[in-house]
Amino acid sequence: MVNVGDMLVGYATNEDVRKRGASGGLVTAVLAAALEKGLVENVVVMKHINEFEAVPIITDDVDEVLASTGSLHSVPVNLAKYAMGRKVAMPAKPCDAQAVIEQAKRGMIDLDNTYVVGLNCGGSMHPVTTKKMLVEMYDIDPEDVVGEEIEKGKLIFKTKNGEEMAIAIDELEEAGFGRRESCRYCTLKIPVNADLACGNWGVIGDKAGSATFCQVMNDKGVKLLDNAIEAGRIEVEPASDKAIAIRAKVNDVMVNLGNTLEKEIFPEIPDEERMQYYMEPMADCIDCGACKEVCPVCACGEDSKCTMFHSLVDNYKMSMYHMVRLLHLSDSCIACGQCSDVCPSDIPITLLQSSFAIPSQRKREYTPGMNVDDVPPFFEVILK
Amino acid sequence: MSDFEPDILTFCCNWCSYAGADLAGVSRLQYPTNNRIIRVMCSSRVEPIHILEALKEGTDGILVTGCHIGDCHYIEGNIHTDERMKEIVDALEHLGLKDRLRLEWVSAAEGKKFQETITDFVEKIRALGPNPLKEKAKEE
Ligand SMILES: Cc1cc2nc3c(=O)[nH]c(=O)nc-3n(C[C@H](O)[C@H](O)[C@H](O)COP(=O)(O)OP(=O)(O)OC[C@H]3O[C@@H](n4cnc5c(N)ncnc54)[C@H](O)[C@@H]3O)c2cc1C
Ligand code: SF4
Ligand code: SF4
Ligand code: SF4
Ligand code: FES
Repeated sequence: MVNVGDMLVGYATNEDVRKRGASGGLVTAVLAAALEKGLVENVVVMKHINEFEAVPIITDDVDEVLASTGSLHSVPVNLAKYAMGRKVAMPAKPCDAQAVIEQAKRGMIDLDNTYVVGLNCGGSMHPVTTKKMLVEMYDIDPEDVVGEEIEKGKLIFKTKNGEEMAIAIDELEEAGFGRRESCRYCTLKIPVNADLACGNWGVIGDKAGSATFCQVMNDKGVKLLDNAIEAGRIEVEPASDKAIAIRAKVNDVMVNLGNTLEKEIFPEIPDEERMQYYMEPMADCIDCGACKEVCPVCACGEDSKCTMFHSLVDNYKMSMYHMVRLLHLSDSCIACGQCSDVCPSDIPITLLQSSFAIPSQRKREYTPGMNVDDVPPFFEVILK
Repeated sequence: MSDFEPDILTFCCNWCSYAGADLAGVSRLQYPTNNRIIRVMCSSRVEPIHILEALKEGTDGILVTGCHIGDCHYIEGNIHTDERMKEIVDALEHLGLKDRLRLEWVSAAEGKKFQETITDFVEKIRALGPNPLKEKAKEE
């Protein structure tokens, strides 16, 4: 029996899963056990195509779950919308977990039926940037890459012919590569908003590289782990004080870095230039609607105000579409980066959305995606 | 800039502030002619999006008026208005357009207040200059 608040180190009992797993295969084993034992009807996982391409799948096939081991740092999709309307277990970066909670607030996801296995996240990369970086910085043909790993602040690529090459992430980011911009100022690195918070920080000694650190966040987390232990899919032991301290320390370093980068990334905009700050880049918009389609906290569907008040012909200036989206997302944008990732006009739409949303959220001391009971400030009028 | 005449849009609720505007009219109180009134049943009918749309179409200033708190004919409509306006004020602050919106409670008996509010708001907006979104629209 595990308890809420437990800090554990564990791994998949299946040797193959443990070996293929990003750290100890625990996440995969927990998801597989949830499906096997009927805790859920479906599992969302990433189906690998190659290091830069993977598609989220919703599956009820345990083998497909077992095949989905490994962390894809260059596939920054958000998984929240895949959980809608299902009894499901899913892996989740902190921003996936945030989006799940925001959707739950809007009645689109039933949290009682959604098991969220959180993954620590130091950041993810855009696949196009990664491929370009491989050519320009690593001198590696992206086609030759068979594996990728992050260790001690370095990004390591392994090639077909067994070679390994490591470059410091700082150096990559200075050269304009590396993590997506939103990940640089993201400060939720341990998914304390998920049911379990799993990662490799704090896995030390002989277990380093072959076990997963796991913090139990709530009752659903307890259920997930107890279920996987009962199914014989995982083994866990309490984490040592040293392991816990190391994990906390690495997290502090990352959070501080995020705070520092936030100051660098967001410019101070004088009042009279504010309109221009938004209008200029948005003038490049070709009105494809992809940024709305992909936004994991948007719950409007087809009947949305951003499109209802928008006419295609007004796109040459700042469109109603964007004005309404800025307004609507001001209390819910989690800066997940999806909108910038998909924009065919390369508009830094995440930066614009979060320039708008972050001050608003801070002013009202509200953080989206953390606690389902925190009512968004503009959600409904609460009569005092 | 000196010949700039601001376009002002005023939302009036049917029961109090529109009656206030009416009273200003029948009392022959003079106020600037820059103002266009849209009558709504209650101030809470005005959505933040209506304000954005008006600004985007080049309106220089928007006044939302309704009954005094406690007097709304739909009991608590204007309390909703008050809450809603906070959202849009926040948003307009980010866009540098905050001063182009004002919320004011005007009762049916306050013809004078209606006149003064409009006069004062027109002058404030005149000093502020044209809505940057209008300029953009003209350029293109
Ligand atoms: C982008 C990213 C960055 C990470 N950064 C850190 C870090 O800085 N520090 C740290 O301690 N841990 C980090 N992790 C978590 C770590 O890599 C392992 O996922 C975690 O330790 C669990 O290991 P495991 O062997 O139990 O997982 P596995 O059993 O290998 O299972 C991994 C699960 O993650 C899912 N997955 C893979 N890629 C993604 C993705 N891009 N988005 C959502 N789900 C995905 C797979 O479908 C699979 O279900 C990161 C993970 C990701 C995806
Ligand atoms: S926004 Fe944060 S949680 Fe999401 S991928 Fe980037 S670093 Fe990870
Ligand atoms: S607006 Fe963009 S960054 Fe914000 S939640 Fe939506 S997709 Fe993510
Ligand atoms: S994704 Fe880019 S081009 Fe498409 S609607 Fe959004 S901002 Fe415009
Ligand atoms: S009726 Fe006047 S504000 Fe509601």
